[in-house]
Amino acid sequence: MAFEPLLTRNIHKENPASIATYMASGGYQGLARVLKEFTPEAFVEEVKNSGLRGRGGAGFPCGVKWGFLPKGLDKPRYLCVNADESEPGTFKDRLLIEKDPHLVLEGIIASAYAIRCNQAFFYIRGEFHGPCRTFERAVEEARAKGFLGKNILGSGFDLDLIVYRGAGAYICGEETALLESLEGKRGLPRIKPPFPALIGLYGCPTIINNVETLANVTLIAERGATWYAGIGRPKNTGPKLFCLSGHVKRPGVFEAPLGIPLLELIHEHAGGMMHPDRPLKAAVPGGSSMKILPAANCDVLMDFDSLAAAGTSLGSAGGFVMDTSVCIVDALLNLARFYAHESCGQCTPCREGTGWFVKILTRLENGDGQPGDIDLLAEVASRVEGNTICPFGEAIAWPVQSYVAAFRDEFEAHVTQSTCPLGAAAGRS
Amino acid sequence: MSLPVRPETDRQIDALLTRFPRKGSALLPALYLIQGEKGHIPEAAMEYVAGKIGVSPAFVMGVVTFYTMFRRAPIGRHHIQVCMTLPCALRGAGGVMKHLEKRLGIRRGQTTPDGRITLSAVECLGTCDTAPMCQINEDDHGHLDAKTVDAILERLQ
Amino acid sequence: MPDPVSFVPPIGPTPAPLGLRTDRPAPAPDPSAVPTPLPQTGPDQVALSIDGQAVVVPKGTTVLQAAAQAGILVPHYCYHPGLSVAGNCRMCLIEIEKMPKLQIGCATTVAPGMVVKTRTPRVVETRKGIQEFLLINHPLDCPICDQAGECRLQQYEADYGKGFSRFTEEKVHHPKRDDIGRHVKFDAERCIKCTRCVRFCDEISGTHELTLYDRGDHTIIGTFPGKPLDNAYSGNTVDICPVGALTWSPFRFKSRVWFLKNTPSVCTACARGCNVDVATYRNRIHRLTPRVNMEVNRYWMCDDGRRSHEALYERPRLERPLLRAACGEGPQQPGTRDEAIERAVTVLREAGAEGGASQGTGAAGGSAGVVAAIVSARLTLEDLVMARRVLKETIGIDRIVVPPHEAGEDDDLLIRRDRTPNARGALIAGIAGPDAGRLRELVQDIAAGRVQGLVVVGEDPVGDGLIAPDALRRLKAMVVIDWWRSPTAEAAQVALPACGYGEHDGTVVNFEGRAQHLRASIRPPGEAEPAWRLLQSIGQACGLKAAHDSATTILSEAARSVPAIAGLSAQSMGTAGVLLKGA
Repeated sequence: MAFEPLLTRNIHKENPASIATYMASGGYQGLARVLKEFTPEAFVEEVKNSGLRGRGGAGFPCGVKWGFLPKGLDKPRYLCVNADESEPGTFKDRLLIEKDPHLVLEGIIASAYAIRCNQAFFYIRGEFHGPCRTFERAVEEARAKGFLGKNILGSGFDLDLIVYRGAGAYICGEETALLESLEGKRGLPRIKPPFPALIGLYGCPTIINNVETLANVTLIAERGATWYAGIGRPKNTGPKLFCLSGHVKRPGVFEAPLGIPLLELIHEHAGGMMHPDRPLKAAVPGGSSMKILPAANCDVLMDFDSLAAAGTSLGSAGGFVMDTSVCIVDALLNLARFYAHESCGQCTPCREGTGWFVKILTRLENGDGQPGDIDLLAEVASRVEGNTICPFGEAIAWPVQSYVAAFRDEFEAHVTQSTCPLGAAAGRS
Repeated sequence: MSLPVRPETDRQIDALLTRFPRKGSALLPALYLIQGEKGHIPEAAMEYVAGKIGVSPAFVMGVVTFYTMFRRAPIGRHHIQVCMTLPCALRGAGGVMKHLEKRLGIRRGQTTPDGRITLSAVECLGTCDTAPMCQINEDDHGHLDAKTVDAILERLQ
Repeated sequence: MPDPVSFVPPIGPTPAPLGLRTDRPAPAPDPSAVPTPLPQTGPDQVALSIDGQAVVVPKGTTVLQAAAQAGILVPHYCYHPGLSVAGNCRMCLIEIEKMPKLQIGCATTVAPGMVVKTRTPRVVETRKGIQEFLLINHPLDCPICDQAGECRLQQYEADYGKGFSRFTEEKVHHPKRDDIGRHVKFDAERCIKCTRCVRFCDEISGTHELTLYDRGDHTIIGTFPGKPLDNAYSGNTVDICPVGALTWSPFRFKSRVWFLKNTPSVCTACARGCNVDVATYRNRIHRLTPRVNMEVNRYWMCDDGRRSHEALYERPRLERPLLRAACGEGPQQPGTRDEAIERAVTVLREAGAEGGASQGTGAAGGSAGVVAAIVSARLTLEDLVMARRVLKETIGIDRIVVPPHEAGEDDDLLIRRDRTPNARGALIAGIAGPDAGRLRELVQDIAAGRVQGLVVVGEDPVGDGLIAPDALRRLKAMVVIDWWRSPTAEAAQVALPACGYGEHDGTVVNFEGRAQHLRASIRPPGEAEPAWRLLQSIGQACGLKAAHDSATTILSEAARSVPAIAGLSAQSMGTAGVLLKGA
């Protein structure tokens, strides 16, 4: 396929993260173009016209989100970059931060200009020690070159950027939890409305964008909305980073236009299944919070709307693949442990439900399941779904519901045989 | 009363107080500074930083206990954190953990008697392409198996 | 615009007697009923439909509040009208047309034409689910829990729950019986993490002792080591705790709440006059809890006030009249009421009081400087009115001194420096305001022998260290009326037993001039009776033509003659009190 890498164009170069490398291939010219040729409002329109949808998980149109900022309010506006990449199976933002931080930074600066923000924050997950150092270095380089600071490129536009490290909490990837964390508090999601565009960081209008989204803004700044909208499929435009891990030969991040077939990702980009004798059992295309697709349903296109039609979601495109050696009950138990560990504990259904899933699934996997347990799992999930403060409720409810629905026989076998048919319980750590 | 942190740390924390539009934001970076100096965050330091930022010690405790990277007790010189979440588990994180437990003679969550190594099971570290992986202090080590684990342990002093 | 929360019927800590609950879930609306058309509204109002009822509320009102106004209870744990909205319990999830997800009533602001449904099958099912979640890790120890009977988990399980659980796993365990504060015990396993207590300490007391520790289902409320929940208002956390997690140590295992009878009354621990419910069982006060009065104390009261009734059971009561021959001589002996009144009148006359059948009033002032009185601003308005009529107008004591009781400073919330509940009442009654200078002079005159007789009503100058017991030996007459055997009462020639807190009716006027009704909730012990009645008997022995049988008639008589309280009555005070004109 003749696809020109855009987001990953620099990652294989020598010193990919340095500003010299970046500028040698035309870096920061897009920013210069925006500052010179666009008013902030015009660039918001440009991003709207590009069709760019947020790459963090929800897929909300980026320019439309920017348009929610209130007009004429005498308060500072903030741009918070969500680099709290924590969804299991997702490591695409990390790649950008480590290998091409200036691609992200240029997008941040152009976006801040568009939304008339003079103070941006880069909230990066605490466990990303190396990427954080790389990014901080990039910020210093950009500051030295005058891309950050006062009167950027003579435009009169000022921007300061603070790199802020999270400290170990998946939930801080949720945008309002991120704001709480950035304010120095426990990362408890806020009740919405009010949405951050109106009342965000320090009570001020705030935009939160994902790292990859902002890297895409750089592309739009460079080559314009019309060009950008020509990539991918209608309403699912632009290049996309797809992560693939689990039972594939070459796990990694692959760039492709939105709409690439999942099977192409698995078999061509990721080199096919890890063990030739173990075929595909199931794939989770969007990250651990998204619904699972059994092998029979894996013939899907990887974009927002196609995956929604297939009953799952693109999410953060943190796909992972399981082969036939995997016990689905064990896999779900593993995820349930993750969500129980990461639930912020604020609201009732999530706090209590996540722990309950772990307990039921542990019994099932250990062969102590009861006939009613499988329905109970699905039923408890339905009581969590939609009833929580933030989308974390769905993030655990959807895997539970979909794993049970797609692999009910396997769950039932655990009950009827009073053991894990695949022996996973014994082999599990 | 003497400072519960070194003067240098104190000075850095003071600088943080004016770095943000609101000084509350200085809490997480200040806690990192304290942990960087002490290896963990003692209660006296929580009270101290609470005073600096203008929140209650209880508030600081709430924050410290929320984030997994903040520690209330000392740990070993090398902190081996093995990712146990599904993408790593699919590729053998369980075996890696068992091997580490056997080699170190401790269980996850414990520290070797000489105080050299603390072994922890953690959730996804966002490096699933190198699964199974672990983080030792600030460095990531991927594509682990018994052999690579042994080689890493050799190097840890 | 009025505070939009103020019209929410608060579901406070008060146990309603069984069968008299006012917070029953609303019956399901008749689905065939035609929705009432929404009326026109003013510019600051919003009309919406809740369960088919048209409701008009001020802009900015939440759905939960609007429903409450329409008499529809939306069940909730974390919402409290006096605190910020947390939205964490999820019990108030309700359906709003055109919104795909259920919404929390506590955080959803009304909008014109909004159609709210609080009793749909989906809402009903969701509430069952929330109840089940809240109970899976709960110890279900109602039989040994003090909260039983006023526990929202219990109440809502009956009203909205499934009545059984499908949870068969090991529960999460947490510390129990933790002394989280001086007066407060914490059972972390009962806690539902609604954070009302945390928000109280952050937003109301401003003391910030509490925080959430950890996360997930290990989340727990806690304090910083060595910094317990120990503020002047800590008891409110117990009141607002909707479950049995925080309990008031002095009340633990004292009485089942369904045996308690609540009497609406007023706290007398300072000049604020916080509205309280006095909870009694078997003629004993078991606790005071704040009663909502948005004009006085909102939802709160201080710990000192909450513990003020404890003196009733800690101090020795004066249960019958005690007499002795002369001041400072020999032990007191019990006597009959008639003997005591007669003796009081006799000794006061001997000391120079002029009151008597022949004289009518003591306007001659001959007793000035010879017989004096110390009268308390802790007495009711009725007591004080009678004190004026008897001591001043009948016996002719011109020198009546009211001691001040001050401590600390007024705080930002409720506590007043003036620890007397009725200083303004003393002025209105025509006695005097508290006056430290006059008290000092009187004490000096007593010590110097310039005073021959002393009447003390409701004060303990000896115990308070103002008068040395030896100084009292020089008095020819000393008559004390009080509820307990204070050092002053023990020094008296005649000590007459009065009612203590909660044992009599009356009126107190707070620092703002709000007259409030103090109600009797228990019977006084022994022969104790209201101070006004004892004073009246002394007065009658001196020729006073008065025969009141209750505080009510004293107040109505005074309300006819004293302009400051014109028209004041129990009815006009109601349960919220009334701000006196010119106050």
